[in-house]
Amino acid sequence: MLEIKNLHVKITEEDKPILKGIDLTIAKGEVHAIMGPNGSGKSTLAHVLAGRDDYEVTEGDILWNGESILEMAPDERAAAGVFLAFQYPMEIPGVAGLTFLRTALNALRRKRDQEELTTPEFMKLVKEKSAALNIDIEMLKRPVNVGFSGGEKKRSEILQMALLEPTLCVLDETDSGLDIDALRIVSDGVNALRSPDRTMLVITHYQRLLNHIVPDKVHVLAHGKIQRSGGKELALELEQSGYAEFGEKAA
Amino acid sequence: MSVAVMKTKAELSFAESFDHVQDRLPGSPAVKQVRRSAADKFAELGLPHRRIEEWKYTDLRSAVKDALPVRVGDATQMTIADVIVALGPLAKLETHRVVFVNGRYRKELSSPDQLAGLEFEDLSSVLSSGDENAAGLASLTARDDDAVLSLNTAYMTDGAVVRIQAGAELVKPLLIAHVRAGGEPGFTAVRNVIDVGAKASAQIIEAFVSLPGAAKEGQANAATQITVGDEAKVVHVKCAADTGDGITHLSNWMIRLGRETDYAGFQLTQGVSLARNQIFVAFDGEDTKLDLSGVFLGRGRDHIDTTLVVDHAVPSCESRELFKGVLDDQSRGVFQGKIIVQQIAQKTDGKQMSQGLLLSPDAEFDSKPELEIFADDVACGHGATCTELDKDLMFYCESRGIPSDIARGLLIESFIGEAVEKIEDEPIAEAVMDFARGWLSKT
Repeated sequence: MLEIKNLHVKITEEDKPILKGIDLTIAKGEVHAIMGPNGSGKSTLAHVLAGRDDYEVTEGDILWNGESILEMAPDERAAAGVFLAFQYPMEIPGVAGLTFLRTALNALRRKRDQEELTTPEFMKLVKEKSAALNIDIEMLKRPVNVGFSGGEKKRSEILQMALLEPTLCVLDETDSGLDIDALRIVSDGVNALRSPDRTMLVITHYQRLLNHIVPDKVHVLAHGKIQRSGGKELALELEQSGYAEFGEKAA
Repeated sequence: MSVAVMKTKAELSFAESFDHVQDRLPGSPAVKQVRRSAADKFAELGLPHRRIEEWKYTDLRSAVKDALPVRVGDATQMTIADVIVALGPLAKLETHRVVFVNGRYRKELSSPDQLAGLEFEDLSSVLSSGDENAAGLASLTARDDDAVLSLNTAYMTDGAVVRIQAGAELVKPLLIAHVRAGGEPGFTAVRNVIDVGAKASAQIIEAFVSLPGAAKEGQANAATQITVGDEAKVVHVKCAADTGDGITHLSNWMIRLGRETDYAGFQLTQGVSLARNQIFVAFDGEDTKLDLSGVFLGRGRDHIDTTLVVDHAVPSCESRELFKGVLDDQSRGVFQGKIIVQQIAQKTDGKQMSQGLLLSPDAEFDSKPELEIFADDVACGHGATCTELDKDLMFYCESRGIPSDIARGLLIESFIGEAVEKIEDEPIAEAVMDFARGWLSKT
C-alpha cells in the first residue's frame, strides 16, 4: 500500500513550493490515475516517489508498505519495488541495452536476496518479455534508447518495468508522443502487469490513456494539491469540461 | 652575454650518468657517436619546461625531481607466467609476443615461432651489428630539438625492430611487451622501429606494464618509429598501464604514412603519475586515412599529457582525432592537437575532438586545439568539451536499481567507450576496455 501524507515539496535550489499537501492512499492491487493541467506538479510527484534529489520534501511523508521511503536512495527504492517510467526516457550512448538491463536486473536481484541470472537465463527472459512488447532483440544490442523513436523509447520503458518486476509502478505521461498503435502496445504491456500484488499510479494529461488502462480511481492534481477524487468516470467528465474549473478555483 | 641556466638535480644526473654507462650501452662505433651527440644535446637543452610553448602545461623540469639509475643489461628473474600476470587482459589475446624486461629483450619469454610475413630483431643486436639503416638511425637525429627524444637516443638499450613484408597479412597481432619488474627503481629507454611494407596489413600492440611487486617508482622513455608503406593497413595500439606510485612515462610516436594507407592509432594511459605522450604524423602520400584516438585515466595527482602534431604535407588526406580523459581527485589532463595543413594539401579533411570528464571539482583538463591551415579548399573542424557526470543519467540508472558506484562506472565506460570503439579489432578493443575497467574499479 502506498500512503502519501500531507506531502510538501519544493525544488532543492529554490524556495518555491510545488506540492502543497498531497494526501493519497493507493491500496495494493489498485490502479489510480492522476490527471491535471500542465505545471500542476504531476511529474514532480512522480520523481519524488522515485527519489530524485532535485526536490526536497519539506513536510509530510511517503509510506510504502508501511515504511517511510524518504530517506532511501533511488536504487534502494527500486529494490523495495518502486519503478518510474519516465516521460522522457534517457539515452545512454555507449551502453548496450542488454548490458543495462542485465546490470539493473542483477543489482535488484542481489538486493532482494535472489540469485543473479546467468546469461542464458537472462536472454530467455528478455526474449520472452520483449516479444510481448513487439521489441526486436536487435534493438537492445544498440545503446540504450539512442536513435529510438518516441514509441520505441516508451516500449523500452515498459520492457524495463516488465523485467524488473516492481510492485509500485509510477507511469509519468507514458502516453505522450505515442500514436494510436503504439499507445495500444504500451497499454497492453502495462495491463499485462496488473496484478493483485502490484500498485500503479498512472499520471496523464489526457483521458485517452485511461480508455486503455482503466483506473480504479482518478484524482485531479492542480496547484500542488489533490482537488478532486472520483471513479473512472471523472476522467470522462474532465475530457468534457477541461481543467478550467481548477484553474479558476485558485485564481 | 650568455646567461648560465642552473641545471636541476635530475638534469645533471641524466647528463652525468651517460659517462658511467655509455660503454655498456649496445652499439657500433657509429652508434656510440650518435649517442654521444644526443647526450650532449640533452645536456644543452635540459628538461623541457613551461617557458617552452609546447611544454607550457607539462613542466618536466619541475615535475621530474631526480633521475633514477639507468637500466642497462638487466637480468631480472622472470617466467612466462610472470609475463602473463603483468600483461593482464592483453594476455588473453592470441598474439605473437616479443618481451622486454626492464629494457632488455628476453627471447626465452617471447613467442618461439616467427610469424609469417614478419621479421623481428632486437634493437640491441641491430645497433651492435653496425647496420645503422635497419635501426632507422638516419632519422634518429631528425628531431634533435626534442630533449625527451635525445634522452632516448642517448640511452636506448633495446626494442623491437620489425619489418612487415610487402603484401603480408599478419594472422595475429604483434604484441611488443615492455615489462617493468624487480624491486629496484630505474630508468629505462626503449625504442621500437617498425616498417610496414606496401599493401601489408598488421596489428601492432605496445604494452608498458609492470609485474606486481615491482618498485613503486619507475621512469620510462619510449620511442616508436613507424613507417607505413603505400596501401598498407595498420592498427597500432599502445597501453601504458604500468602501476605504481611515481611512474613517469615519456613517449614519442613518429609516424610516416605512404599513399592510400589506412592507419589507426590508439593510446591508453592509466596508472601513470606523469605521462607525456607525443605523436608526430607526417603524410607522405595522397588519399591516406589517419585515425588517432586515446583514453587517459587520472586520479590522485596524476598528470597525463597527449600532444600531437599532424602534418598534412600532401593533398587529399583525412585525419581524425578523438581523445577522452577521465580525471578524478586533483589529477590533470592535457591535450594539445596541432594540425598543419600546408598550402599544397588541398582537399584535406580533418576533424579533432578532445573531451574531459571531471569526477572531482579539483581535477583539471587543459585542451588546446591548434589548426594551422594554409590551403583554401579544406574541411577542418575541432572541438573540446569538459563535463561532469550527467546527473539525469545517474538518476535514470539508479531508479532502475543500479547502485550509484556501478551507475558511475557504467557511465564512465560509456564515455570512454566511444574512443575505445575506434579500435576496429574487437578482441583488442575488449582487452583495452578490460584494462580501463580494472583501473576504474579501484577507488
